[in-house]
Amino acid sequence: MTDDRLTEAVNAARLATLGTLVAGVAHELNTPLGAINSNHDVLRRALSRLQNILADDVVDETELAEVRRIVRALDDIMVVNDLAVERLNQLVFSLRSFGRPDRAERDFVDIHEGIESALAILGHELKGRIEIVRAYDELPRIECFPHELNQVFMNLLVNASQAIPGRGTITIRTRRGDDEVLVEVEDSGSGVAPEHLDRIFEPGFTTRGSRISMGLGLAIARQIVDRHTGRINVRSAPGAGTTFAVWLPVRLGTHHTNGNR
Amino acid sequence: MPDNRTATVMLVDDEVMVATALRSFLELETAWCVLTFSDPLQALEALRSEHADVIVSDFMMPGIDGVTFLRQSREIQPLATRILLTGYGDKTNAIRAINEAGLYYYLQKPWDNEQLRMVIRNGIERATLFRELDERVGELDGAHSELQQLRRKLIRTFL
Repeated sequence: MTDDRLTEAVNAARLATLGTLVAGVAHELNTPLGAINSNHDVLRRALSRLQNILADDVVDETELAEVRRIVRALDDIMVVNDLAVERLNQLVFSLRSFGRPDRAERDFVDIHEGIESALAILGHELKGRIEIVRAYDELPRIECFPHELNQVFMNLLVNASQAIPGRGTITIRTRRGDDEVLVEVEDSGSGVAPEHLDRIFEPGFTTRGSRISMGLGLAIARQIVDRHTGRINVRSAPGAGTTFAVWLPVRLGTHHTNGNR
Repeated sequence: MPDNRTATVMLVDDEVMVATALRSFLELETAWCVLTFSDPLQALEALRSEHADVIVSDFMMPGIDGVTFLRQSREIQPLATRILLTGYGDKTNAIRAINEAGLYYYLQKPWDNEQLRMVIRNGIERATLFRELDERVGELDGAHSELQQLRRKLIRTFL
């Protein structure tokens, strides 16, 4: 593949990821928004009932029981709205943390934060199907381009999720080394055939369809890890799941920005 | 069925905020007994002892999905009306739900309260009619069996 074709394909893959991300976020918004929407309707009905009861300035026993019933409903509504607003806030926080428009340049960050924001955005993709196991070590903040690393975590997690046909587990391990940190993403999927393992980071290589954008997630991940002077490798066996391991230096070298940014 | 007759509606959604919002609406606007569950397996357990006219379930839940839950609930309470309320508008699962779980209605999130109430009310009416029909068939079965016994008795006595 020529450089131009590769750049074009990488951009197409990024757009495809963005599309998935937007669809996921729209889905994540659906639950809290649905609850708030319903509650807003209930509030309007409750207010109308209270206004009817108070219209004649007299509240009899039956009406008092009705008022108590309305107050109980309002109480539930407050609890649900608190939860819904908190969920929306968390989602916005995850999106901002993931995109990091304010931190497009190199920075020292806690990479667990990036992993968690990718997980939050992928919530709809994983929910009810995939259990996430976190085995996090205590890590130092590492020097990196956070929005790029978040793309690596997102791609590895999407890949792991797609490798699991039904229900399964994704285990995320982090470990501290002397001057580097390790992030492992292990899926309980069907594994990769040995003849495919060597080609897994090749641009356009995929076992899941013919669209080129589908086969670029891992190629982009490797490109970004390379730019961070890190290493990425894979181990897998058919039927035994797949593990991607990413080593990242705690401090960046000076030559990592020479790539196609 | 008018709203003032007590019927039981079971709501199953792992998102507590959805189940609670639905309950708030139904408790304010109807006289139905509303049971909410965030765990489909606990809901199945409850169906062994609690009667439900209508079961409304989410699709994507940990443990078992909504279609599997509704299919299993059908084995426990075959006459209850089953409704799927889902944020996943995909045709495959809708068809699966209709075929496997004998689905009565497929609603999408975000839902409209008035439409939801109407669908549940029709579902209660349907379950009530099925139960009445079941009782009548049971009575006919009983009468038929009595007639058969009487016939056998007559044959034994006079032939």
